[in-house]
Order: sequence, then structure tokens, then C-alpha cells
Amino acid sequence: MQADRKLLNELTPELVHTSTKWYVTFFIFLAFFAVGIYALILQIDKGHIVTGMRDNVVWGFYIVNFIFFMGLSYSGALISGVLHLFHTGWRKPVIRMAELITVISLVIGPFFIFFCIGRLDRLHFLFIHPRIQSPITWDVIAICTDLVGCFIYLYLSFIEDFAILRDFSELNVAPWKKKLYKIMSLGYSGTEKQRKLLLNARTIMAAMIIAIAIIVYSVLAWIFGVTLQPGWHSTIFGPYFVIAAVFSGTGLLIILMWIFRKVYHLEEYITKRHFVNVGVLLTIIAAFYGYFTFSDYLTKWYGSIKMDSILIDKLFNQYYSLFIFANYIGILLPGIIIAYPKFRTIRNITVAAIIALIALWVNRYIIVIPTLETPFLPIQDFRSDWIKYSPTWVEWALTLAGVSIFAMLFMLVSKIVPIISISEMQERDQNEVMK
Amino acid sequence: MKKYLPKILFLISLVTLAIVPSQSQEKSKITPYFQLQYFKVNDQEAYLKSTLSYSMNRMEIPLPGMIISFFAGEAGNEPLASVITDEKGVAKVALGSDTKLPLNGDGAWSFRSEFKGNDTIDGADSELAIRNVTLEMTLSEVDSIKKIGLKAYTLQNGKEVPASEEAVIVYVPRMFSLLPVGEASLDENGTATVDFPSDIPGDEKGNITVIARFEENPNFGNIEKSVTEKWGIPTSYSVPTTHRALWTKTPPMWMIITLSILLAGVWGHYFFAIISLILIKIDAKRKKDKDEFLA
Repeated sequence: MQADRKLLNELTPELVHTSTKWYVTFFIFLAFFAVGIYALILQIDKGHIVTGMRDNVVWGFYIVNFIFFMGLSYSGALISGVLHLFHTGWRKPVIRMAELITVISLVIGPFFIFFCIGRLDRLHFLFIHPRIQSPITWDVIAICTDLVGCFIYLYLSFIEDFAILRDFSELNVAPWKKKLYKIMSLGYSGTEKQRKLLLNARTIMAAMIIAIAIIVYSVLAWIFGVTLQPGWHSTIFGPYFVIAAVFSGTGLLIILMWIFRKVYHLEEYITKRHFVNVGVLLTIIAAFYGYFTFSDYLTKWYGSIKMDSILIDKLFNQYYSLFIFANYIGILLPGIIIAYPKFRTIRNITVAAIIALIALWVNRYIIVIPTLETPFLPIQDFRSDWIKYSPTWVEWALTLAGVSIFAMLFMLVSKIVPIISISEMQERDQNEVMK
Repeated sequence: MKKYLPKILFLISLVTLAIVPSQSQEKSKITPYFQLQYFKVNDQEAYLKSTLSYSMNRMEIPLPGMIISFFAGEAGNEPLASVITDEKGVAKVALGSDTKLPLNGDGAWSFRSEFKGNDTIDGADSELAIRNVTLEMTLSEVDSIKKIGLKAYTLQNGKEVPASEEAVIVYVPRMFSLLPVGEASLDENGTATVDFPSDIPGDEKGNITVIARFEENPNFGNIEKSVTEKWGIPTSYSVPTTHRALWTKTPPMWMIITLSILLAGVWGHYFFAIISLILIKIDAKRKKDKDEFLA
């Protein structure tokens, strides 16, 4: 299968050459990851006493990270699925990043559940003694289903590129990579029948992963929503979580676009137009996300249920800074930066995306922790450290390890396949020629 | 003076540092809350109960594993027993019918309990004078109105002395606690009558337990008398068998159907995608064979 030589020459050098900067960056992430592994060994050896989690706050950083990474994954699926289905013209340079966000986050996210479980030796009970009534069982089924679906979708989008790379004789990569391209391309040569089969499969899977992403993230939200805990028992938690996930994923997509554009010199492919388009998407989602946030807290505040009132009081006092950052600055600032054409530069849009991403993580934190710090029944023999959560270095280390492995996997994948889909770009070029 | 000021300040600091820890050490010794109570249930089971605890952050914290000594007699020096407090900080001594208890000049029993203290907890003691009261309860029905007759008296020189002007509370046990259904003050004859409500659920046969109590009475302590009678509304507590509910082993049918449809729909599409991949592979092989044949 042949591809445009210019495209191949510009998008494949990263598969062949690896710079010193790449190695240095990779080893920095690897060091963070190693610290995380040490923290994990310590946690397994000593137990959860090395974390800040106690009798009341049994969900800490780990669950926050789990929700966050799963959100990134579902948003990646939603964004790539929608862009593919609607044949959005500008999607091509960014769609692969969205697809990779989906799969990599989905692989990392569930590990935080494992860190949170006190008795990992009973993990298999979830599979051998499942109860369909349990939202935890729904989550296990949903995540497994989503994982398979996302891998199939990602693989479908890779086949054409594998075939192009297989047939690119001047590509001077390691023999194992050539062998990999050959096996993974399934002998695809771009015949009419193969094209049709692949397009149908991709279209159906694009639609499927949108549906799965919505259902799966709603299931995750229902784990909170079906409890009677203050702040969680909400009917809008499903759509609220989905919108929040897309918000964070869009932010991450902008950040990755900026990084790969800068590092791999893709200025010609990832242009300001792409940043503005994804930025506008971020602004629109920020508006929806802000609406859901306001609606959720307004109804709780107006309802004046005792425990909800205590929680809201806590959010506006003890968690004031985090609450304002997550729900005001994190929502309004990206909107303001992107809404005004004067501020709409690549750097500003990226800064807005970073703020949005951090704010969303903080939002997850103030959804999980303050509720658990607001128990219905006061515990006897009250000690502040039993009820007040404070993350330890072990939790910070494992959080940073999660971010590091995300970065490392992205870096490694970018060494096997181009970070911009050659086949998608070629299609664009052909369309432009036709025009 | 100005010259010596740093030295003076340094000396003051040293003295302060020396004094503050010694004060804090003294303060760290716990002053416990110590209580002695007398209980008698149905004229049979009588016992003394001591509770040892302390207060921290306005919470009562029990002191388990402490030795409490119980004494009787006017001078409070006739040992009864020594008991170690349980996890609730409680120590109990049963007063069997064969326990000979000396009477004081007022015809009452004197009791004393003592905690000697240790390195971290101050010692404490508590005293009590109890008259042996008999509480009687009779249940009757007059003109369809259920009435509880109460009578209380003490024995002095073999004669009944009415326990007048004392408060008695009547309860009915419910699932989690006792439900108060009436309260009466005993008259000069030591008697009182309380109307019993007619709408209290009993067991399947209508049985209900009625409890009359002196509570924390300064003369008698905690005295309880209970009688079971068919005064309640017969109530069946059998829970109907529920099938396919969230709390049973079998999930609701709607949940199974919804989940099955969702999973079948999703995995069906997955299989379609996988079959497409297999077809691509087959087509590629055919093309390769054809190309080789033509070559």
C-alpha cells in the first residue's frame, strides 16, 4: 500500500530516530514511576495505614485518580468517535491522539482501584461471585467491555498505517518493527473490498464507543449516585460526569497537541486552526459543565437537607479555595481565554487547557473527599485524623506514577506508529486534490 | 539594665521551659468520672454497677481493665468483691439472695465502690445508701380499659411501709428501646394506677411485656418489675418472601433483560468488527495467492 512520500518523510522520522531529549524525558518519568512502585510495595507490606485513608474517608486520591483517568478515556472515545462519524474536516491530525488517550487512560485507570482495595486477594470474587444488582459489578462489566471495544477501535484505525509502514521500503526501522507492521496490517492492501470492510467496521465501532463511553461513565457516576451520601445522591450525576469527562479529555487533547507539535515539529499539520477548533469545543463543554455544576449545587443548597447543608457549608469554608478554583476559575477562565479572539493564541489555549484539566481533577477531589468527611452518624471516640483526610507521600507517589506511565506509554506508542495518522492525512490530501 | 536584659530574658525562658513541662505532666493525669448504681430486676437479680470513664473533647471515654473494689456496711469497709472494668468501663457485682448485707441506722444498705488510681489516672470512690423496696405490678381490665396497678413498700421490723410520693415509669419494650406508656406518682399508700393504651402491637398472640421502674431513685436505686400479658394487638411479623429484588440473590427481571440487551448489542457489534478483520485477512490472502499465481 503506497502513501504520499512527503507525508511519510515528515511523519515517520520519529519512528526511526530517538533523540537524547526523548531518552532523558523518558527516564525522568521512569524515575517517578519507580518511586511509585516503591510506594506500592510499601503499601502492600504495611497496609493502607501508610495512606491517608481511614475509617470514614475510605476513598482518597486513588478513587479520585480512577475517576479522572476513566473520564479521560471516555472523553477520548467520545471525541474520536464523534469526529470520525461526522467526518469533521480538521479531525485528521488530532484523532489519533484522542484514540490513544482513550486506550492508555483506560489501561491505567483501573490500577487505582487495585491500589484502593484492602484485600487484593479477594479481587477475583468480583468475577466468580458477581451480583448483577451491584453497581460495582456493573462497573467491572462496563470497564471490561469498554476496554475490548476501545482496543478494537484503536486497532481498526491503525491497520491502514501499519500497511503503509509495512510497504514503505525506505523506512529504516528495527526488524521487529517491520515484522510487527507486517503481522498487524493483516495483509491489508487497500482493495475496494478491504476498504469497505474496514470503513464499515470503523464506523460501527465509532458509534459503539460513543454509546459505551456514555453508558460506562454513567455507571461510574451511579456508583456514587445510588448511595444516599450527601453530595452524591443526585439524579444528574450520570450526565454531569459524562460532560465533566469530555471537558477534561478536551483539555488533555489540547495539551498533547501542543507537546507533540513542539517536540515532533508538526507545525504544518497541527495548526492554530486545530487549537481554536478544539478550544471552542472546550468552551462549549465548559458551559455545559458549569451549568450541571451550578444545577447540582443549587438544588442541594435550596433543598436544605441537613447533611447537604453541612456539606455545602464545608465546601464554602474548609474547601473554599479548591471549590472556587474547580468550579469558578476552572470553568470560567478557559471560556474567557478562548471566547475572546484577542486572547486566542496557541499558548493561551494550552494554558486554558492546563487550568481546565487541573480544575477537573480538583473537582473530582471535592466530590469524593468532603462527602466522606461528612458522615451521617458521628463516630465515637472522635479523632480528627479518622475523619479528616490528608494524602500521604505514598498516595502522591502513586498518583505521579500514574501520570508518568501515561506519558511513557504515549512516548512509546509514538515510536511505533506516527502520532498523526498517515492514512487519514492522505485521505485529506486526496480530497484536496479532488477539489 | 539594658546590658543585662538579654540575660534576664534568657533566664526567664529557661525557667519557663522548666516549669511548663512539669505543669503539663501534672495536667496529663486523668481525673475520672466514677459512678455507683444499684439495680434489682423482678425482686430477684440484684447487683451493683460501677462505671469508670473520663471526658475528652466533650466525649465520654470508658476506662477498661481497671480494678474496682466494692464494699458494704455503714463504714464502707466490708469487702464484697473486686472486679475489672470491661470495655465499657463497667464493673458489676451480683448480690445473691445469700449475700448478708448489714443495715445502717436508717434501715438501709450502705455500699461503697473504690478505684485506687494509678500513674495516669486519679483514684475515685462513690457511695450509696439503698432501702430494699418491693415493687408490685398487677394488670387488670375494667370496662374494657386496661389498668396497671402499682404498689411499692419497704419492710421495717417485719411491717410494710408504703413508698409514698415516688415516681414510677411504665414502659413497653420495642425493637430498639423502651417505649414509655405512662408515669405515676405513688400515693400515701404507696399505690398508683396507670391506664395502658389499647393500640400497642404485641407478638403474633398479642403478648406484650409491661415494665414498671424506679429510675435513679435516691432511696431505692433502679428497680424493675415486668409482667407479660395478652394486652397487645396480635401482629404478624413474618416478612413476605420477595423474589427478584435488589436485596435477594436473584436480581430483578428488568435488570437482567436490560443488561442482556445492552451486552448483546455491544458485543454483537464487536463480533461484527472482528469478523470484518478476519474477512480483510482472508481477502488479503486470496489477493496474495492470485498475485503469486499470475506472477
